[in-house]
Amino acid sequence: MMKPLFLNIYFHESGAEILKALRAPEYIVPTLVLPVAFYLFFAFAMPGAGTENARYLLATYGVFAVMGPSIFGFGVGVANERDRGWLKLKRASPSPSLSYIAAKITVTLIFASLALIPIYLAAGFGAHIALPRGQWVMLLGIHLLSVIPFVLIGLTLGFSLGSNAAIAVSNIAFLGMSALGGLWIPTFLFPPLMQKISVSLPSYQLAEIALSIVGANANAGAPRMPLHNLTIVAIMTAFLAVLAYWAWAKQRN
Amino acid sequence: MKANKTELVANDFVIRAKGVSKTFGVHTALRDVNLDIQKNSVTAILGTNGAGKTTFIHCCLGLTKPSRGNLSIFGKKPGSMESRRRVGVMLQDADLPDLLTPREHIALFASYYPSPLPLANVLDICNLEGFATKKYKALSGGQKRRVQFALAIIGNPDLIFLDEPTTGLDTEARRMVWEVIRRLANEGRTIVLTTHYLEEADALSDRIVVLDAGNVIANAPTAEIQALAGGAMIKCVTDIPPKDIGKMPKVVSVRHNGRFTEINTQDSPSTLRALLSEDANLSELIVKKPSLEEAFDQLTHSQKKKS
Repeated sequence: MMKPLFLNIYFHESGAEILKALRAPEYIVPTLVLPVAFYLFFAFAMPGAGTENARYLLATYGVFAVMGPSIFGFGVGVANERDRGWLKLKRASPSPSLSYIAAKITVTLIFASLALIPIYLAAGFGAHIALPRGQWVMLLGIHLLSVIPFVLIGLTLGFSLGSNAAIAVSNIAFLGMSALGGLWIPTFLFPPLMQKISVSLPSYQLAEIALSIVGANANAGAPRMPLHNLTIVAIMTAFLAVLAYWAWAKQRN
Repeated sequence: MKANKTELVANDFVIRAKGVSKTFGVHTALRDVNLDIQKNSVTAILGTNGAGKTTFIHCCLGLTKPSRGNLSIFGKKPGSMESRRRVGVMLQDADLPDLLTPREHIALFASYYPSPLPLANVLDICNLEGFATKKYKALSGGQKRRVQFALAIIGNPDLIFLDEPTTGLDTEARRMVWEVIRRLANEGRTIVLTTHYLEEADALSDRIVVLDAGNVIANAPTAEIQALAGGAMIKCVTDIPPKDIGKMPKVVSVRHNGRFTEINTQDSPSTLRALLSEDANLSELIVKKPSLEEAFDQLTHSQKKKS
């Protein structure tokens, strides 16, 4: 008897996840269209739009574009499949639970990349933001790495909420982390209390790293400290991983 | 020596449950269940809602941990990868993702197993060809159950758990499921199914286990359970005192219900002959098969008498 290869299962599982995503316009349209639409609007169409705005928003809308598929794909997707008993059946089957998560992360990375490409194109060709090739690669790297903490948040929601509650809470998390994380408006414009909240959000920390890569001006004289931000992101991610693991273990019984 | 013995046990019994109990808070779902299920048998677990049938299956699958006791599947821990590769399952309340087709669902499940059945075979056996490429959400309730049944057998498993496999199926689909279960059993697989219907247990299983409030109250070959449950119930209006009816051939029990007398018998013709010859005025005669509830009543009753 040949043992089924993990890779083979993972490919099958990823294929199934891609099909599911492609057949769900309510997932695809906001994921792929909204970030670039917002980017075009705020970077080009708004009065006062200029290269500096386009540069700032390239960094922050990249994080925004990745956050959507991560939080919704996992928060809403996992909650729905758990609610209907699908995950229970999979647990009884010889499918390694890691292949399910890995396949979902793969699909998230694919759709996050597809959402990033038009933003990068608009920034590069539309707003003439010229970055050395290495900076573009680093920017893509940090944007795709952003998947990890947001997927962990999505998983925690998906494992602990029913499917209806998951939709509501995912929306709040998504919009809240976007607005308070400074992805739409720079946080230095916020009142001091809100700024304190911002600092505690992974969206803010990731955006700060991206901002330093694209060379956006530091605001209000405070220098950017990307390594400091990266350390905070790492700590937050570890904490979120524990939280997601705990939520996963709890729903199993 | 010891290794030999384990091998023998593992070969004879696919499932071994010893003193298995499961409590959820104050509620006891399973109470000291001792149950060995033999290789190449079809076992029906009968019981009303809340009797513990699903909990027992969940324990066997490793979805729930027993609170006490020992449970092994193929001599392995329930839920271990080794046992899961040899097990197929149809759960009672597991719906599949809406946006994949039956064919895609079954192909995905096939990839989990070491030597799955050919996809086309399963589509054919389970009669899914007519809707194999429709989205799952567009299927009727009965069609969905048939896809779930297909997932239970695609892995070519040695042991198959079917939790209420025919609930929500029309007569035709039910017959299809019965036929496939019989075929799988003939091929040497072990099947454990739960059902509400005595008729279904009777038609499919060679052994019946009756669960009542978490207790195994009967565990015997199907024919024996049928006899134990009484062959039929006779209901009539008669003047013969119950004490005398009790002495008639094949009578299991007698009781008054309003103006009616209800008689449980293992063989209605013999009892009827005696009744009719004793009481020429006997009227309003009804003979029926006992319902599952009545069978349970009697089983619990006889169990209490024994202990």
